[in-house]
Amino acid sequence: MSILSDIPILSFILLSPLLGLLVILLLPKQRSGWMKTAAVITTLVPLILSLWLYTDFDKQQGGASFEEQHTWVEVPLNKESQNGVSEFLFQFQYELGVDGLSLPLLLLTALVSAMAALAAVHVKKRWKAFFSWFLLLETGMLGVFLARDLFLFFIFFEITLIAMYFLIGIWGYFKRERAANQFLIYNGIGSAIMLIAFVILVNTAGFRIDQVGEQVNFIYSGSYTDIFRNMADPTAWVNMSPEQLGSINPFLMTDAMQRALFIMLLVAFGIKLPIFPFHTWMLKVHTEATPSIVMIHSGILLKMGAYGLLRFGFLLFPGQARSFASLLAVLGLVNLLYGAILAFRQREFKLVLAYSSISHMGIVLLGFAAFNEIGMQGAVFQLISHGLISALLFLIVGSIYERTGTTELNELGGLARSMPFLSGVLLAAGLASLGLPGLSGFVGEFLSLLGLFESMRWLVAAAALGIVLTAVYVLRAVLKITYGPLPERFGALRDARLVEAVPMIVLLAFILLLGCYPSILTDTVQLSVEGLLKPIFATRAGG
Amino acid sequence: MDKYTQAAWIIPLFPLIAFLVLTALGRSYRRAGVFIGSFGSLAAFAMSLLILTDRISGSEVDYNDSFDWIAIGDYTLRIGFEVTNLTALMLVVVTLVSFLVNVYSAGYMKDDERITVFYGYVALFTFSMLGLVLSDNLLSFYIFWELVGVCSFLLIGFWFTLPKARAAAKKAFIVTRIGDAGLLLAILLLFWYMPDHALDFTTIQSVFDGQSGAITNGITTLIALLIFLGAMGKSGQFPLHVWLPDAMEGPTPISALIHAATMVAAGVFLVARTYDIFQDSAAAMETIAYIGGFTAIFAATIALAQNDIKRILAYSTVSQLGYMMMALGLGSLTGGIFHLFTHAFFKALLFLGAGSIIHAVHTQNINEMGGLGSKMKVTAWTFAIGALALAGIPPLSGFWSKDLILSIAWEMNPLLFVVGLATAFCTALYMSRLFFLVFTGKPSSASSGAKESSALMTVPLIVLAALALAAGFIETPWNGWFGGWLNDGAEEAHDSAVAIVASIAVGLLGIYIGWLVYGKRSVSSSALRESTPWLVKVLERGYYMDELYAAVIVRPLKLIGSALTAFDIYVIGGIVRLTGAAVSTAGKTAARLQNGQVQTYGLAAVIGFVILVVAIVGRRFLP
Repeated sequence: MSILSDIPILSFILLSPLLGLLVILLLPKQRSGWMKTAAVITTLVPLILSLWLYTDFDKQQGGASFEEQHTWVEVPLNKESQNGVSEFLFQFQYELGVDGLSLPLLLLTALVSAMAALAAVHVKKRWKAFFSWFLLLETGMLGVFLARDLFLFFIFFEITLIAMYFLIGIWGYFKRERAANQFLIYNGIGSAIMLIAFVILVNTAGFRIDQVGEQVNFIYSGSYTDIFRNMADPTAWVNMSPEQLGSINPFLMTDAMQRALFIMLLVAFGIKLPIFPFHTWMLKVHTEATPSIVMIHSGILLKMGAYGLLRFGFLLFPGQARSFASLLAVLGLVNLLYGAILAFRQREFKLVLAYSSISHMGIVLLGFAAFNEIGMQGAVFQLISHGLISALLFLIVGSIYERTGTTELNELGGLARSMPFLSGVLLAAGLASLGLPGLSGFVGEFLSLLGLFESMRWLVAAAALGIVLTAVYVLRAVLKITYGPLPERFGALRDARLVEAVPMIVLLAFILLLGCYPSILTDTVQLSVEGLLKPIFATRAGG
Repeated sequence: MDKYTQAAWIIPLFPLIAFLVLTALGRSYRRAGVFIGSFGSLAAFAMSLLILTDRISGSEVDYNDSFDWIAIGDYTLRIGFEVTNLTALMLVVVTLVSFLVNVYSAGYMKDDERITVFYGYVALFTFSMLGLVLSDNLLSFYIFWELVGVCSFLLIGFWFTLPKARAAAKKAFIVTRIGDAGLLLAILLLFWYMPDHALDFTTIQSVFDGQSGAITNGITTLIALLIFLGAMGKSGQFPLHVWLPDAMEGPTPISALIHAATMVAAGVFLVARTYDIFQDSAAAMETIAYIGGFTAIFAATIALAQNDIKRILAYSTVSQLGYMMMALGLGSLTGGIFHLFTHAFFKALLFLGAGSIIHAVHTQNINEMGGLGSKMKVTAWTFAIGALALAGIPPLSGFWSKDLILSIAWEMNPLLFVVGLATAFCTALYMSRLFFLVFTGKPSSASSGAKESSALMTVPLIVLAALALAAGFIETPWNGWFGGWLNDGAEEAHDSAVAIVASIAVGLLGIYIGWLVYGKRSVSSSALRESTPWLVKVLERGYYMDELYAAVIVRPLKLIGSALTAFDIYVIGGIVRLTGAAVSTAGKTAARLQNGQVQTYGLAAVIGFVILVVAIVGRRFLP
C-alpha cells in the first residue's frame, strides 16, 4: 500500500480547482495576467495528482481501485412501518472512486484542462468570470469521472452544463447565444432522460435492506456500487420474480423495463457523444465557442457521453447492451461515414473538425459494439486519443484565428511559409487524426476495428472506407491551410509564441507516446476490462 | 556466423537518430544537415553490407526477435525484426541507394533554403523503409508501410507553395491509402483466422506452406487479394497507378530514392514476403500475373507519348513494377525479386541522370533539350548505360532479369509472354526516343548554356552505372546462384533460348526505330504524330485515367457530400429548430419573469426538478 491510500487524494483532485477559483475571486478585476497565472497553476494541481495516481495505480495488482465514501444525504420517507420495518430511507453517498476505465479519462481531463487554461491567453474580456466558470467546469468534469453515486454523478454532470453554457454564451463568437441555448436545450433534454432513468434505478436496483440490531432499514440507495451489485445478483430484490418471491415484488425490473432503461441511457448519453442524428447542437458549439473552450468540449465533454454509456448503460445492463450490438455497430458506422463525408464538404475549418469529431466518435461506438476485450480497449483508446488530438487541433485553430482573423478554408493558404512550426504541428495533428501509425489515432482505430471484425466482418469492410475518407478530408483541409501560395496579407505573420508552443508540444508528446507505446494505456484499462467488463463478454456465449 | 545479423535492429536507428538530430537542429545548420543525413545512411549501409556477407557466407538460420506491443488478455500484438536472405538483400539496396541519394542531394539541393528539412525527411524515410524491410510480422510491417507512405507524401509536397506539388502529395497519399485499407482488412482477416492469432511471417509461411487446411481456400484467396490491393497502391499497379506520375512534382533525388528504387518496390516485397499465401491460391496468382502484365504494357505505351523526362521515367517505373508483379504471379519469386534488385540500380541511375540534366537546362520537356551529349559527358554515358539496362540489352543487368521473367512467361503463359515482349519493345523505343532527343541533335536554346554537374552529383551516377552494368551476373541462364540463395536451395532453372533471342531482338528493334525517328531523323516524328493524332492524345493523357477517376469517384463523392450537407442543414437542422422553437415558446409562457438565456436553463432545470418530484412522489402510490 502506498501513501496515496492514506489521504483523500480523490477529493483533493476534485476540489483543487475550487480552491483556485476562490483565489481568483479575491484577485483585483483588472489583473488579467495574475488571473491567468493563477488559473494555469491551479489546473496543474489535479494534473500532477492524477499523474501520480496513474503511475501508482498501475503497480497495483488486480486493479484495486482508490475509493472514498461518506454518507451524504439521507431522506427519511414516512411510510408506515409494517412487519417490524423501522424506517424507509433515501440514501445518497459522497462516493468517489477510480478504476481502469475512469482513471485514464480523469488524467485526460486534468491534462486538457491545463492546456486549455494556457490556451486561454486569447481571451479578451471579463477574465475573472471566465476563469471562475472555467475552474468550476473542471471540477464538474473531474467529478463526473470520479463520482460513484448516481445523484453525485448527475450533479457534476449538470455543473458542467451550466458552466459550459455561460462559457459559450459570453465568450464565444458572433452567434454565441444561439449556440449556448441550443447546447442547453439539447443537453437539458438528455439530462432529464438520464434523471428519469436514474430515479427508476434507485427505486428498483438501489433497494436494499439493512439490519442493525432490532432496527431494520429499507434503503433506496443511490450508490453505484450497490446498484451494480444488485443488478448482477440474481437473489437481489431487483431480480426476483413474483414466483420466486411468492408475492408481488415492487422492486422487480422486468426485461421490458431493462430494455427501456437501456434505451433511455443510450439516448441520454448518445446526445452527448453525439450519435447521429443528435449531433447538430455540437456543430454550433464547435464553431461559436472560443477555442480554449472547444478544446474542453471536444476533448472531454464528448467523452462523458461515452463514459456514461459504458458505466451506466453497458455495465448495469450487459444483457440488453449485448442485444443492441448490431444497432450500436450500425450507428457507429453511420457516424463514421456521415461525419467523414460531411467534413469533406465543409468550407470552414472548425466545421471540418466538428464533423471529424462525429466521425471519430463513430469508431468508439464500433469498438463498443464488438463486445470483446479488444474492441472495448479500442474504444477507450480512441476516447483518450481523440481527446488529445481534438484538443491539439483546436489549440492550433485558436492560434491561427488569432493571427489571420479567419477560419474559412478559402481565405487561408500557404501558412507553412510564414509559420513553419504552427503548420508543422497542424500537419502532425492532422496525420494523427487520420490514423497514422506511430501516433495515437491509429491504435484506437485499429483495435476497434480488430475487435469488431470478430463478429461483424462486412461492417468493418465498410468502415475501412471511412479510413480512406478520413485521409481525404483531413488532407484537404490541412493542406489548404498550410500548403500552396501564401496570400500577401499573411506575409508578416509571426510563428507560435512560447506560451502557445508549450501546450502544443505537450499534447503532441502524449499523442506520440500513446502511438508508440500504447501499453502504457491498455495495461491500465485492461485491469478493468478483465474485472468489470467480463460479464458483458460472458453474455455472448448465451445470447 | 551470425555475429552481425543479431544486431540488425541497429540499422534503422542510424537514420532515425539522424532525423531526430536534424529536427532538433532546425534550419540554420545547412552543412551539418548534409553530413548528418549522409552519415546516418552510410553507417546503415556499412552495417547492412556486413549482414549480407553474413548471409552469403552461409548462415542459414533466420534471425528473429520481437516484443509485445499491446497485450490484451489472451491476445498479443507484437513488434519485431527478422533477417532472412531476402531482407538482407533489401537492406543493402535501400541503404546504398539512400546513401547515394544523400550525397547527390548535397549538390542538387544546395541552394534550397529548406535543405535541412529535406535531409530530415529523407532520414525519416530511410528509417521507415528499413523498419518495413526488417519487420517480422504484418502488423509492424503495416506500421512502417504507412510511415514510408507519409514520408513519400511529405517529400512529394516538399515544395509546398506550388499548388501542383500540393495536389500531387494529396493524391499520392489518398490513392495509396485505398490500397492500405485493403492490407488492413487482410491483417484483420489473418488475425482472426490464423492459429493463435499469429501475424508473423514465419507462422504464416508454415500455416500456408504445409497446406494444413487450417484456412479455407476462399478465405486464402480473399486474404491474398486484399494483400495485393495494398501492394497495388504502393507499387502503382493499374488502376491505382495514377499517383506515381504526379509524384514527380517532388525533388528528383526523391523520385530516384522513393519512387523508383525503394518504396514503390515495397509492394513487390510485400507479395514476396507473404508468398506462401499466394501460392495457396491459384486465383490470386492469376490475378497478380494478369494485373502485372496489363500494367506493364499499359504504362509502357503511355511512356511512348510523354514529353516530360520525369514522367517518362515514372511510367516506365510503373511498367517495370508490372513486370515484377507478373513474374510473381507466374510463380517465380526469383524473377520478381531479381528484377526488383536490378531495376533499383538502373532506375535510380536514370532518375539521378535526369536530375543532373534538369539541373543544367532548367526544363523537364525533352523537346526543349537536345545536343547535351557533348556538354555533359558523364551524365550522357551513365544515362546510356541505364537506358540500355532498362531496354534489356546484354550484358547489362536489366537484360538478365528481364530475360528470366520472359523465359518463365514462355513456359507458363504464352499470352503474357507476348505482352512481356511487346512491353520490352515499347521500353526500348521510349528509352531510345528519350536518349536521342536529349543527348543528340542540335543544342536547343535551353541546353546551349548547359554544363556538367559537380562531382557530388556525377560520382553517384558512376557508382550506379557500374552496378547497372554488373549486377545482373548473379543470376544468368548458366548460373542460378541467386535463385538458389533466395529460395534456400530450391533452385529454379529457366533458360529458354526463344525468350533470349526474342527479347534481344525486340530490344534492338525498339532502339533502332527510335534512332531512325529521333536520332537519324530519317522518319519525321511530327508526321508520325499527325498520322494518328487521336492515339497520341489518348496516350499523352494516360488513357484519361484521371478524368475517369474524377467522373466516377470524385464528382459523385462531392455530390453525395453536398446532398448530405443540405440534408444536415435543412432536415436534421430543421427538426432541431422546431424542437427549439417549441421549447422556447413553452419557456416564454412558463417563465415570463425571467429574461435572456437564463430562462432557457431555468426551464431545463424545472423540467428536471418536476420529473424528480413526480418520480419520488409517484413511487409512493405504487403497490
